[in-house]
Order: sequence, then C-alpha cells, then structure tokens
Amino acid sequence: MDAILQIIISGLTLGALYALGAVGLALTYGTMRMFNMAHGVFMALGAYGAYYVAEVLGMPLVLALLAGILTGGIVGALLHVLVVRFMLGNKNFEINILVATAGVGILLQDVLLKTFGGFPFRQPVQVSGAVDLLGTRVPWQSLLILVVAFVLIGAMALVLTRTRFGMAIRATAMNRDAARLMGVNTVNTYLQVLIIAGILAGAAGVMISSMATLSPEMGTNPAIRAFVICVVAGLGSVGGAGITAFALGLIEAAIQYYIGARFGLPILLALVVVVLVRRPAGLFGREEVVRS
Amino acid sequence: MTPAVRNNLLGALGLIAAMALVPAVVGERYLLGEVIVFMLWASVAVQWNVLTGHAGVFSLAQMLLFAIGAYGVAMSTTYLGLSPWLAMPLGASASALAAVLIGLACLRLATAYVALLTFAIAHMVLVLIISETACFTTIGGGCQRFFGGTSGFSRIEDLGFRQSLRGNWIVGNYYVVLAIFAISFIASIIVIHGRLGLAFRALADSPVYAAARGLNRTRSRIVVFVITAFFTGLTGAAYAVHFRTAGPSLFDFSTLLFILAMVIVGGLRSTWGPVLGAAVMMILVEIAKDMGEIRNMMVGAILVLFVVLMPFGIAGLGRRIAARIRNATSKGAT
Repeated sequence: MDAILQIIISGLTLGALYALGAVGLALTYGTMRMFNMAHGVFMALGAYGAYYVAEVLGMPLVLALLAGILTGGIVGALLHVLVVRFMLGNKNFEINILVATAGVGILLQDVLLKTFGGFPFRQPVQVSGAVDLLGTRVPWQSLLILVVAFVLIGAMALVLTRTRFGMAIRATAMNRDAARLMGVNTVNTYLQVLIIAGILAGAAGVMISSMATLSPEMGTNPAIRAFVICVVAGLGSVGGAGITAFALGLIEAAIQYYIGARFGLPILLALVVVVLVRRPAGLFGREEVVRS
Repeated sequence: MTPAVRNNLLGALGLIAAMALVPAVVGERYLLGEVIVFMLWASVAVQWNVLTGHAGVFSLAQMLLFAIGAYGVAMSTTYLGLSPWLAMPLGASASALAAVLIGLACLRLATAYVALLTFAIAHMVLVLIISETACFTTIGGGCQRFFGGTSGFSRIEDLGFRQSLRGNWIVGNYYVVLAIFAISFIASIIVIHGRLGLAFRALADSPVYAAARGLNRTRSRIVVFVITAFFTGLTGAAYAVHFRTAGPSLFDFSTLLFILAMVIVGGLRSTWGPVLGAAVMMILVEIAKDMGEIRNMMVGAILVLFVVLMPFGIAGLGRRIAARIRNATSKGAT
C-alpha cells in the first residue's frame, strides 16, 4: 500500500512535469505543423533564467519563478520573429523547421555552456521539506510542481476555449485558409502559440531543474519524454498530450520502482511502438497518416 | 544504364581517382588524417541525403547506425578475436539488421513521427550503454563493460598496416577508407538514379497515383533505409578500425548536427551536394579552430541560415543558376 502511494505520488509529479513540457509542443504542432527540436533548450533557458534572478540578482523565489517562465516566453517570441516567420509556407516546411530548430537548439545550448559553464549546479528556486499525507511523506516541491502544472495548463485551456484569441488559435489549427478568410491574422497566431509554448517550457525547466540539477543539456531527457508523449497522443492533440503525460508518468514511476530506473525509457518506447503499430496516428490523433 | 547514371558514375570515378592520388602529393600525416575524416563524414552524409533528400525519410538515427557499425567491430574483435577485416562487414550487417527493426517500427508513420521516434530510439540506446555498471570481463586490469559503458572501447585491433607499412600506416588506412567512401558514393548514385529513386520521385509527385500503380511506399522506404544503414554502418566500422576506438561520444548531438549541416549546406535532393557540403563544413571547422570553441555555435547558425535562405543548399543554387543561364541563352536565340 505504501509503495503504491509512493508510486502514485512520484508518478503524478513526473506526469505534471511531462505535461508541462508536452502540451506546448503539441499546441505548436497542432496549429502550425511545426515541431520544435529546441524545446529542451527552452526548458534549460527557463531554468537558468530563474536561477539568474534568484542567485545573481537576489530576488525572492516567486519573482524568480516568474522570470523563468517569462524567459521561456521571450525565447519563443524571438524564435518566431527571427526564424520561423521567414519559413512559413515554404515547401518541405516540416523537415526544414525540424532542421532549423535543431540548429537553434545547439546554438543556444552552446551559449548557455559558454555563459554558465558545463558543471551542473543546484537550482535555488525550490521549496524544501515534506508533509505527511496518508502516512507517506510528500515533498513540498512535488506539490508545488503539481500546482504550477495545473495552474498553467488550466490557464492555457481557459484561454484556448473561452477567449477570442484562443478561438483564433483553434480555428487556425483546424483550417488555416478558412481562418484567414474569416479575418484571423494567422502569422500573429503563430507568434502567440510559440509564446505560450515557450512559457510552458520555461516553467517546466524551472521545475525539472529543481528535481535534478542545472546544466546546459538538462532539457534533453525531458524533451525526449515530451516528444514520445506527443507521438503517442497523436501529434497536435493538446488534450491527448496532457492525459498521456500523466499516464506515462505513472507507468514510468512503476517501472522505476519495480524494474529499475535504467529501463524506464526503453520500456516506455517499446510500449509506444506497440501503440503506433495498432494506431499509426497515435491514441488521440485524428490526422491522416499516409498508408500504402 | 541511363545517361544520368553513366555521367554521375564517370564523375564519381574521376573524384575517386583524384582522391587516390592525394597520398602521393600530401605527405603530412595530420592532413591525411583530416582527409580520412572528411571521407568518413562525407560517406555518412551521402547516405543520409539518399534517405532524407530522396526517400523523404527524416531519420535522426544515422549516428546510431554509424555507432552500431563501430561497436560491431569493437565488440567482435575484442570478445571473439575476429580479424578487423571480417569484423567490418559484420558491423555493417548489424546496422542493416537494426535498420530492419527500426524501419518496421517507424517507417509507416508520417514525417515528424519518424524524426521523433528515431531520435528517441538513438537516445534510448545511448542511455542503456552509459548506464551499464556490471563488468563483463577485465582487460588489461581494467573493467570492461559489455557495451563499453561510459568509456567505450579503446585499442581496437588495427588493420595490420602498422606492421607492414610501419611509419606509413596511415596511407594503408587512407586507401581502405577511400574504398569504403567509393562504394558508398557509387551505391548512392545507383539508388538515386535507379528504380528506387524513380519510385521515390513518383511517390513525392503524387502518392495516391504512385500507390495506385502498385508502388508500396512503406516497403520502398524500408528497403532504402536498410541499404543506407548498411553503408552508414560500414563507414562506422571503418571509423572504429582507423581511430581504434568506439564510444558513447559517437552519439553526441553535436556530431549528428555537424553531419546534418553537411547534407543541408550541400543540398538535399542532389547527388553531389553532400560531398561538397562535407568539404565545406570540414574547411569551416578547420578555420574556426583558431577562433576558440565555436564549432557548435557555428554549426547551429549555419543550419538556420541555410534552411531559411537556401533550403536546397549549394547544389540547389547551382541548379538555379544553370537554369537561368539556359533560359537567357534560349531567349537570346529566338
């Protein structure tokens, strides 16, 4: 019983982290068929942003967390203004944007390495201590992660479903040309989507670095989890990505407890392949997949 | 043999002949070593271009396939005492076999799915390798993990040129690597301009019509994936016998992107682009060495710039200029 509670708590924490990372990716792919290979580096940038504000400028933790989130948003906006804007509507957009964002990723990762050095260090933006809950000790940090994830993802869901600007995003995702004919400025929509994805990635980065350490390549592992989650959910399915993230978080926590941390990702991937053999468009995907 | 195949093959033979003369002119070991590295990366880039530029499969597992070839050589020479000459085709076959499995799992899916899954698979293998802790045997008093762990394999048996050629051993290695580059490049020309290449052109033009005429998209993609994996693995095997090491650093994201930059700079969908791109990138990195540790930043910036400004690379630019000249002259004639 105790073990199961432990697994559920660490599974939910993992799931919340994965959801923060994956939902933004799914949103960008869903609206603009763009897959951001630099997503992991966005997470790292958010984490370093929070670190910088807390440690170097000595600001309170809440402000540092906000700064991390803001960093992600700014980087997302810059990515649109400096790179993506020029590639919209190109032939081979899907492959080219993968290549371009991979280039941006390695460039920014190198900048981080040059600025902060390669040695991993501790993220100061975190809360310590634990609370007793149903007989198990739950770290405050886990609860904080759950709260941040629910607040941010909930806010995003509200924006997408309740506001005009969210409707514009969803309309663009459904049919870009029809949205434009209805007067939606789709280029602006893309900018907004990348800012949202950046904000979520920044928050994910701060939270992930509090569980592990800060290092320029800290985003690689979570980003790969996020990729896998998006693929299983079906690329572009935002709600599906959220649900899948929690499911995979719980499964991974169970695998780590019973079989060993080393096999978490391999077994997940095996599951993914089985899912994709049955459903090539993912669990929640409604997209056409060319078959022959 | 169609004229396209013949002309490209003649060109390739010319290039190979010129490369064969290099050791006669260049005596410096450092420079010969750099040319060997160029041929290795060019071979990987050539195969990647066949796969991505022509077959439309954006695989990010190319360095995994390369590493399987290298690890195949390292493990079969270390554990089984196999001759490296025999181990090289064995490593290449192991890559091809891995490609069958990865291909069956991924290649039915759409572009972005393929990229992400192959990337995740390569990362998974890396994690499994570096997280290994138990010793398999002890070699030279040190712990040797089955897949080499974080330190990998070193002092792999060489091709025997150090004994037969003594100080000139690198020339022997040079010709072995040249031979592998030659086979790889010629194979790519045959694939691109042969029936498979034609099938992919048809599938790119109109997937539905091509399928209606009996082309099996998934099967063609798996076949080309396995062929390119064989040659990528063979190149990895040559890497292992030349440098006598194989380790997890082969999986570095920066190496993957360095080679991707060769393909992009040279030009996707061309025949000669990747060779050109490999030469350009090698020279740029050589220049950048004097400016400190900026290789990764440079690779990133070049990737972004080329994709945004020149998505078809140097070869594409050449094609466009040639077309413009042809237009101008035909207008002048009428």
